[in-house]
Amino acid sequence: MILNTDGSKPIYIQISEWIETEILRGDLNSDQKVYSQYQLAEMFNINPATAAKGLNILVDENIIYKKRGLGMFVSTTAQEFILNKRKTHTLQKLIDEIVLEAGRLNVDEWDLFNMIKTANKRRRKN
Amino acid sequence: MSVITCKDVTKHYRSKKALNNLSFTIEGEKITGIIGRNGAGKTTILKILAGFLEATSGEVKIFDEKPFNNIMVSANSIYIDDQMTLPSSLTLAEILKTASNFYENWNTALADGLFNYFSLDPSQYHCNLSKGMKSTFNMILGLSSRCQLTIFDEPTTGMDAAVRKDFYRALLKDYIAYPRTILLSSHHLDEVEDLLEDVLLMKDGQLHLHIPISELKEYATSVKGKRTILEKWIRNKEVIHRSDLGAETTYAVVKNNSAVLLQLDNARHEGLDISPVNSSDLCVYLTSDTKGGIDDVFS
Repeated sequence: MILNTDGSKPIYIQISEWIETEILRGDLNSDQKVYSQYQLAEMFNINPATAAKGLNILVDENIIYKKRGLGMFVSTTAQEFILNKRKTHTLQKLIDEIVLEAGRLNVDEWDLFNMIKTANKRRRKN
Repeated sequence: MSVITCKDVTKHYRSKKALNNLSFTIEGEKITGIIGRNGAGKTTILKILAGFLEATSGEVKIFDEKPFNNIMVSANSIYIDDQMTLPSSLTLAEILKTASNFYENWNTALADGLFNYFSLDPSQYHCNLSKGMKSTFNMILGLSSRCQLTIFDEPTTGMDAAVRKDFYRALLKDYIAYPRTILLSSHHLDEVEDLLEDVLLMKDGQLHLHIPISELKEYATSVKGKRTILEKWIRNKEVIHRSDLGAETTYAVVKNNSAVLLQLDNARHEGLDISPVNSSDLCVYLTSDTKGGIDDVFS
């Protein structure tokens, strides 16, 4: 992944979201070791302190845990937690925005629902 | 122990005050970006820290010692800019060899590796190099010395985009391998911001901001929308920058605080466009003398 540097999202948030996605996809499993701040810094060409900040968000949310002297590891509940968080926060926020824009354009609920259905169909085909 | 301590540092050039009661400390092995407009005093403070210049008044301490005329500080710090005077009778290879005798932590493998990567000619003389090649060679000197205090003052002058990118990556990799205090002044904050841990923003010889780069990104919010609505919304808020677009629309940048953040949703509902401000633009707004920028000249 190349980081998005236009300033729309802080780098450390992009780092924590990237690791979350790795966990969601199953590329990082429970109790597996997570990249260190120095590995992340090299991978993404960023200051190690920024990478550490991204990791700390995940520690605070108990998505990963520290083992003294060994590094950080994926919690057993991580995948479920991320899934729930993304549903209740990220997806909900997107939906709020869609509803707001639909309101401005006078698109009613039924039309909106049909648009979602069509998009879904398109996605399944691909 | 802090690496750098400056207290009320003032520097006069004749009657002009280049630095005006500048105070800050830098602790630990961090990469700090020194940002500011032309004439803000960046080079002056960096040269004082390196011991090249003496402050008119105030206290400067590097590793707990005064840098001016100090062999201990000289041996543990290096200052790189695009006007370095290196002996004209020595070839590039000889300069590197000599530098390796100067600096205790000098890394020959790194110097040779970078030298070959950038295809410099060892038998060439420094004064015959192109602007970009000079900067490249100076950068190799700065990185390979691995000084506890490494200062790069506009190190990328004349470098092409590919070399700049390579330099930033080399800097980061060698910093990870061998952490040290690095000061990097640059006019291209957008290019270096990912490398930085802290930013030190200067204006008129004074310290304007000294914060982690992550806080700089959350320092302000930009709002754009219908002027009448926007003017009502920005009332009682600290406006950093404002410009009018067309007859009806206004763009404004306001400083974030808890009250502003709480009112963002409400601004969105009123039809205002909310977006973050990139660090580079923000620094321009923060250090600009007028609220409207260059447009004020033409109005």
